[in-house]
Amino acid sequence: MELLPQALVDGIMLGAIYIIIAIGFSLVYGVMHVIDFAVGEWIMLGGFAGFYLNEWTHVEPMLLLPAVFAVFAVVGYLFQPLIHRVLSGHRGNPLLMGLVFTFGLSLMFRGLAQTFFGFYSHSVPSRFSNGSFFLQEGGFSMTVSSVRLAGLLYALLITGILHYLLKHTDFGLGVRALAQNRDAAGLMGVNNKRTSAYVYGIYVGISAMTGVLIGMILSLSAKMGPDYTIFAFFVVVLAGMGYLAGVPAAAFLLGIIQSFFLIYLDPGYTLLAVFAILYTILLVSPRGLFGKGV
Amino acid sequence: MKDRRLLGYLFVFAATLLVPAVVHDTFLLRVFTEAVMWIGLAVTFDVLAGYTGYLNFGHSAFFGIGAYTTAILMVRAGWHFAPAAVLGGAAAGIGALIAGFPTLRLRGAYFAIATWALARAIQQLVLIMDVTGGPDGMRLPAFLSPRFFYYVMLGLVGITFFAYWFLLERAPFGLKLKAVREDEQGAKALGLNPTKLKMQAFILSAVPTGIIGGVFAYWVTFIDPASTLGDLVSDQALVMVVFGGMGTLVGPVVGAILIFAFKTAFWAYLSDYEVLYIIILGAVIAGSVVFLPNGVLGVLPQRGRRNGPSPEEKGPGAVLPETEGGNSHG
Repeated sequence: MELLPQALVDGIMLGAIYIIIAIGFSLVYGVMHVIDFAVGEWIMLGGFAGFYLNEWTHVEPMLLLPAVFAVFAVVGYLFQPLIHRVLSGHRGNPLLMGLVFTFGLSLMFRGLAQTFFGFYSHSVPSRFSNGSFFLQEGGFSMTVSSVRLAGLLYALLITGILHYLLKHTDFGLGVRALAQNRDAAGLMGVNNKRTSAYVYGIYVGISAMTGVLIGMILSLSAKMGPDYTIFAFFVVVLAGMGYLAGVPAAAFLLGIIQSFFLIYLDPGYTLLAVFAILYTILLVSPRGLFGKGV
Repeated sequence: MKDRRLLGYLFVFAATLLVPAVVHDTFLLRVFTEAVMWIGLAVTFDVLAGYTGYLNFGHSAFFGIGAYTTAILMVRAGWHFAPAAVLGGAAAGIGALIAGFPTLRLRGAYFAIATWALARAIQQLVLIMDVTGGPDGMRLPAFLSPRFFYYVMLGLVGITFFAYWFLLERAPFGLKLKAVREDEQGAKALGLNPTKLKMQAFILSAVPTGIIGGVFAYWVTFIDPASTLGDLVSDQALVMVVFGGMGTLVGPVVGAILIFAFKTAFWAYLSDYEVLYIIILGAVIAGSVVFLPNGVLGVLPQRGRRNGPSPEEKGPGAVLPETEGGNSHG
């Protein structure tokens, strides 16, 4: 039992990172109506970008985050028209095609990553990795590693920025309008194509940055993508598809599950637990923990 | 016209029956057997994807459930092959029932990722269980008769294909499924039960997949989580269906033959570049979606239909289901 507070704190700090992944994932679903199977691969590619940039420049990876964001935001922005083309146009069920398309992309990315980055696990060396704070209170004690704390702060910062962007700018108004009703938003002068491209760019950039952070806190491998895709989906389903306010609770839950399995049980069982919870939620309350999804 | 098509199918099937009479090379017969197996996996995948619009990214789960059930019954309980394989199919069907119950009520995206997660969870489960041999896999009693397996596989896939043809193209069931695919609300208003129909299609897809898995296990005599439950099984089935043409019965067959021929050639000459194969699969999937929305069958000149494909040929969901706001674009 003495490890309990440690597991909780670790879980919350890990969960903070999943919040950002899930918000991006949720936004893309809301605006483009596509479940992006490649989310885990963007995370993985971003992580490796940070890893190689760090190896090349020896700059603290925390400071490299904006550069990774910038590069991947441009990549996402340039990529989006392709997805848009699949989703529109005169083909059958566009939603299905969007799924198949991003699934194909994720296979390609994973294969390419295995070719170029190899099969081994890496971690991004950060100055924060060694430092930690030791807290003692009564019978309980815990270590808070500074890299995880930095991750938490980063997550809060990004969530704050996204909140401001969505609620207090014209761009955010357009995004929310698009998510609510695409036709009406178009009539009101929201440019669907351009807004979607920006949203996709922001989402890819954020996912990539988060990948670097995951590389600092946990580890990177070319095969890690699918796990994070499932995690993102898990958080979004638990929160309720499209209900952003439910994301933090779901993300913290995932983080805590992961750290509990890491500390108390075999981490190999994490996926089974995640699936069991996912199944139960879909069975009992498909609109999420709070019943507010769409 | 359509019955002439059935005659064509029967003719092709009869021709495949003669393959062992012509092909005496054991290796070549093995290749043919595997080709037939992939045709089966592609067709079963398409029943759900093409006719209901629900993508089962965890097709490997049902293949693997069938393979492992058969292997466990034969090795641990000493059953005969035939009842074990049938029970493998039943187990896959029960798996579909359990997996489909919460997810088929929801939109296709939920189903796609949930089945994908299911396949990974089952793979994980098989790795940690004792009865399945964990990562070491299972060795089955060997029965070395290439002809026997060719005919079993062909019979199984043939029965599946003709049963599908009857159910989907001749019986009202196919029309009902298409109605649900095109407009779920509308189908409901006509008194259909969409969830039940989708569930029936899912089970119809999973049971033959499980039996094929059982035959595969007995045929190759050794199974492990990677070969039966790995992503490659689902990925290949998907690429065959998307490349061949979703929502038809012939499309997956053609796709399976072409992709399998490519796979065989690739593995024969470039077996060191396993990862390259994955990249090519991904590229073919993404490329097919962009450039061949109706598969290779869609680009063949169609007799008597010069003015573009009919709604039926347009593939799944020519009319949008479940999109709020329609497919408007700026």
